[in-house]
Amino acid sequence: MTTTPVISIRNLTKTYQMGEVAVHALRSVSLDINAGEFVTVIGPSGSGKSTLMHILGCLDQPTSGQYLLNGKDVSHLSDDEVSSVRNSKIGFVFQGFNLLTRTSALENVELPLLYSGTPVSASERRSRAMAALESVGLGSRHEHHTNQLSGGQQQRVAIARALLNNPSILLADEPTGNLDSRTSVEVMDIFQSLKEERGITIVLITHEHDVAAYGSRIVAFKDGVIVSDELNEQRRAARNELADLPVPVAETA
Amino acid sequence: MALKTSWMISLKALRRNKLQTALTMIGMTIGVATVLTMIALGSGAQAAIQDQVKAAGMNLIIVKAGNYQLQQERAPDDAIENGAVDPESQPLNRWSDGVYKAGERRMRAAFFHPEDDPFAVHDHPTSRQRLGDAEAGLGAAATLTIADADAIRKIGGVQYVSEGIHENAHVAYGGQRWFTRMHGDDVSMPKIKRAWVFTHGGYFSKRQETNSEQVVVLGSIVAEKLFGKDNPVGKTVTMWNQPFKVEGVISSSNWMVSPAAGDDEFDAVYIPVTTVQKLLNLSKLNDITITTESTGNVTRVSKDITDLLRGRHNIAFKTPDDFQVISQARKALTGGGMQADMQRSVMGNAAGLEKVTLEQLGKTLDRASATMTALLASIATVSLIVGGIGIMNIMLLSVTERTREIGIRRAVGARAQDVLLQFLLESITLSVAGGLLGIAIGFAVSLFVSRILQWSTQISPLSVALSFGVSAAVGIFFGYYPAKQASQVLPIASLKYE
Ligand SMILES: Nc1ncnc2c1ncn2[C@@H]1O[C@H](COP(=O)(O)OP(=O)(O)OP(=O)(O)O)[C@@H](O)[C@H]1O
Ligand SMILES: [Mg+2]
Repeated sequence: MTTTPVISIRNLTKTYQMGEVAVHALRSVSLDINAGEFVTVIGPSGSGKSTLMHILGCLDQPTSGQYLLNGKDVSHLSDDEVSSVRNSKIGFVFQGFNLLTRTSALENVELPLLYSGTPVSASERRSRAMAALESVGLGSRHEHHTNQLSGGQQQRVAIARALLNNPSILLADEPTGNLDSRTSVEVMDIFQSLKEERGITIVLITHEHDVAAYGSRIVAFKDGVIVSDELNEQRRAARNELADLPVPVAETA
Repeated sequence: MALKTSWMISLKALRRNKLQTALTMIGMTIGVATVLTMIALGSGAQAAIQDQVKAAGMNLIIVKAGNYQLQQERAPDDAIENGAVDPESQPLNRWSDGVYKAGERRMRAAFFHPEDDPFAVHDHPTSRQRLGDAEAGLGAAATLTIADADAIRKIGGVQYVSEGIHENAHVAYGGQRWFTRMHGDDVSMPKIKRAWVFTHGGYFSKRQETNSEQVVVLGSIVAEKLFGKDNPVGKTVTMWNQPFKVEGVISSSNWMVSPAAGDDEFDAVYIPVTTVQKLLNLSKLNDITITTESTGNVTRVSKDITDLLRGRHNIAFKTPDDFQVISQARKALTGGGMQADMQRSVMGNAAGLEKVTLEQLGKTLDRASATMTALLASIATVSLIVGGIGIMNIMLLSVTERTREIGIRRAVGARAQDVLLQFLLESITLSVAGGLLGIAIGFAVSLFVSRILQWSTQISPLSVALSFGVSAAVGIFFGYYPAKQASQVLPIASLKYE
């Protein structure tokens, strides 16, 4: 394969200095992720998964090592440059949804456009946010405030927000951690269809094997190092599973 | 990012955090309302003091016809005549109410007017002594003319000039008769008497004065005696068997002076001086009243008037004046039964004394009120600073409380400066909105204070602009630190606050 990987990290380390003790969250991690891959990162609690994701998402900087995003070194950019990378290249989905409270779904989804380098008109913001909300099946709920939405719906709003600027990668940290099994499958269905239909590169972190099994490639972590990295042959298909599950009574989205 | 977008973000954030918004705004509102009210009170007091000074006649000069300085202790010639009483039918403890009833003889014993009280020692001649014309029964003493007054009008520093003829007169309306003071004056009198208010109508006009029309303005006591509670404007009263149309009614706006029967100002009627001269067949004046533009040049103007009149009256060197220039300060200096010799020596030095007294008094008052304004302003400033610290406090708290929000914004691409701008705009919006509300409340409070408590207040555009500017400045100054804190929240911080 000659194309440059979307994500390329080399000898990445992250060390937290806790007084006398140094906590090695990442110890020389190297990893390449290609466009269109759906990578699931699995590992026990405290193994450094979230730390990796923060660095991949330019939310945090590594102690040492190199991180190339789309072939460009982003590990030593200024804060402003890094902000613009986050805005245009990366979409986040978190376990806790991280939506603005007392704010409508639509306004939450619009958020990245407020900070994009080129000004976007209010009407364009609105129409793009509406389109993103519709793509996750929440078009009719755009006026709802976040506290009027279920957990699954909130996570879908977060996904819509993450997709708004057509990012190169979508980073998800335990996106199903707060969801029941059926909504988890629904969310995984969205991720899988994003990969299949739009070719979006996804890095998804989880500590559950059955969630990891939705990915096309599974990377296992332990104590800050990669212990295994293999393509997933028995990939679960969320779409098929959903069809088998009984339709919930209350769902009218 | 466009400022408009930032501001929209700030407004939305403020709407989301209603409690924070309300608390911060209240602090600012109270601060600005206090500032405005304090300044309004301070400058109101200052204006009131200046007004009182002027109303008290600090800038008043009166030129009297004749020179009676040395006759002051002499009892008036007509004292006995005025004091005629009928001891048999008049127990002395029963005074007349001043309304003439046919056949009643005790009328003349009443306290009509201090000048007509036969037992009073006058510091000026009574009407009989003053007018140079036959009507007034006195010969050569009265020398002032309307032409003199017109000449005085041309002196630099002179503000208003009014000719004056003063007589006693019976005013009648319907069955009622009232014995009172009659002043023949110029139209500028209400401007000289600053403490007048018109409860009905207005003063007579320049045109009415020029045409010697028979119009009259009643003092509130006269109006009450003749008309009770009715509006006298447009009615016709009779004096010297002549009809006079009532133009207005004056009363006192000064809380220190309330109209009373027998006073010279409100138990009186005012008629154009030209009308009086025509009707009473007079050509001279009793006096001329002058105000100067500033208190400081009373002495200089007095001197100019003296020189002018001496010239006009062809008074030779070393011959005494045939008039008397009196300023308020001089009056105060020589009032209170001072001995004649003493008075003479005081008057010799009065020019200097007067200047010192007036100017110093003026300056002292100015300084006192400036000090008061400064004091009030500093109280207000403290309250603004307290308001500002309140803003800072709440904004700082809100930064901690909103760490998650900040993290979310940073995660989706907000730069540190975007967050800084958002929080700064929030505090500016709060302080300016609070400030505007404070200005409105300050207005209302000042209005309330002046209406209900009768304190004078004055809201100048400057003080409004100042309050507004200060509240914006407070927003920037006290909002900057919390905003800086907010901008330094790390992007991952939000992920830890769940
Ligand atoms: N800000 C920090 N300061 C100090 N140590 C930290 C910090 N963040 C993470 N760590 C440490 O780094 C290690 C890796 O943490 P990390 O959050 O990446 O684990 P994780 O794999 O995401 O675990 P989990 O599955 O529980 O989310 C842990 O030992 C953790 O205590
Ligand atoms: Mg984690």
